[in-house]
Amino acid sequence: MRKKKRAKTKIIIVSVLVVLLLLSTVLAGVIAPHDPSEPCATTIRLAPCAEYPLGTDNLGRCVFSRVLYGGRTTIAATFLLVLISFAVGTIIGILCGYYGGFVDKLLMRVADVLLAFPQMVIAIAVAGILNGGMTGAMIALGITMWVSFARLARSHTFTLKNEAYIQAAVFAGKSDFYIILRHIFPNLLAPVLTQALTTIGTTMIGLSGLSFLGLGVVPPTPEWGSMIAEARAYIQIAPWAIMGPAAATIITIILFNYLGDAVMDYREI
Amino acid sequence: MTYLLEGKHLNKTFKEKAKTTVALSDVNFYLNKGEVLGVVGESGSGKSTLLKAIAGMLKLDQGELFYNGREYTGQKPRQTGKFLQMIFQDAKSSFDPRMIMERSIMESGRGAKDPERVRELVQLVGLEEELLQRKPAALSGGQCQRMSIARAFYSDAEIFLCDEMTSALDVSSQARVLELLQNLKKEGRLSAVFVSHDIALVSMLCDRIMVMKDGICVEQGTTTDVIRNPQDAYTKVLLESAERQNI
Repeated sequence: MRKKKRAKTKIIIVSVLVVLLLLSTVLAGVIAPHDPSEPCATTIRLAPCAEYPLGTDNLGRCVFSRVLYGGRTTIAATFLLVLISFAVGTIIGILCGYYGGFVDKLLMRVADVLLAFPQMVIAIAVAGILNGGMTGAMIALGITMWVSFARLARSHTFTLKNEAYIQAAVFAGKSDFYIILRHIFPNLLAPVLTQALTTIGTTMIGLSGLSFLGLGVVPPTPEWGSMIAEARAYIQIAPWAIMGPAAATIITIILFNYLGDAVMDYREI
Repeated sequence: MTYLLEGKHLNKTFKEKAKTTVALSDVNFYLNKGEVLGVVGESGSGKSTLLKAIAGMLKLDQGELFYNGREYTGQKPRQTGKFLQMIFQDAKSSFDPRMIMERSIMESGRGAKDPERVRELVQLVGLEEELLQRKPAALSGGQCQRMSIARAFYSDAEIFLCDEMTSALDVSSQARVLELLQNLKKEGRLSAVFVSHDIALVSMLCDRIMVMKDGICVEQGTTTDVIRNPQDAYTKVLLESAERQNI
């Protein structure tokens, strides 16, 4: 009981920090002191000061404002990608687990093939073929991301469909659609959602990584990965330009990973 | 003569690689309305296979099943559920852990939802109405088993298939569930096939007993005949072991 309470407190604390982080990006327009895309010849590579809390970059743009606006792009793209992968993977997993047969075997072999390659290698190849851009980067990562959700949902469906309450629903004449919607999906939602939470961090790394390689967001749109890539060129003369987006990426990933772990711990107690 | 439920020449074999297991071999049975048929035997004797075959949960190799004289062989649980209901061994796991009891019970009905009837049935099985608002985890095994009886009644099924329904319960819960079933039987509300490995328990509830061993029905008759004058050696062994356990 005490352990559970402690785990709950941990979730609340991390959730508050995550909400604060999300609010800071949603309210970027209010909080940001400068236009994130407006270059200024007189403020090039300024060190952090009262007016520019995180300094300025090579084009004289406020790093703090760009980090705030960049969070919007990075976090929104990550959430959208995780949400789509979660939806697609869960639906595929449930259908494979519930019906089995040829389609299940085929999709699971496709999943095995996708898992045989490192995710980033496939993502770089696909993003390259799609000529980069945020949509391209999301498709590139999404091609492999649904697999983990599908496998998890499938294994849970396998267990659930043999439960006596599912058999009771069958005896009551309920359709497969009803059983999946009312019994299977709600009972596997918790583990798959926990998986989604823990995936946010790695997805963010993936998206930022692709942007860093020039296969993600197109400049001048602020995005943490592309900001790091730009600032890398002059890291020795203006290290602050890289510190802001790098710290933002690290803090966000740690927070979401920590939240995922906390939820997982809570469920296991 | 037309029986409520009848099985003729039921055969089922399970094949796994080189191993073949005969689960049912030319099994015949019948059940009259208001009657409880007990099926006893050790683990692997084929009694659960028989129940699953009756329910349509597995396909028979040979044989016919009849409900009120109409053949229903080959029908799946979605169709057989109109006239029969399973009462599972682990009652708790037969309810969705996320649903309150009232919703789970109402889900078993095929018509319009009737919360008033659910309350009546819960009173019939000797439980308080307030338990309907709880989830299965908040109920004891015995309470869940009574709820599953209420659910079976709510479904309007005429036949109950009880698969070791008291074996997961403690002695006092077992006695209460047995008393409930005996009362329902006296009122003529219960027509059931009651599967158990416990011949003593079966003899307290059932009108007729069917003894199974290695997929074969070795003996079948009225409870009095089978208990007082067993014909098969295996039935005698079962009765002797039941007597020893009572001592």
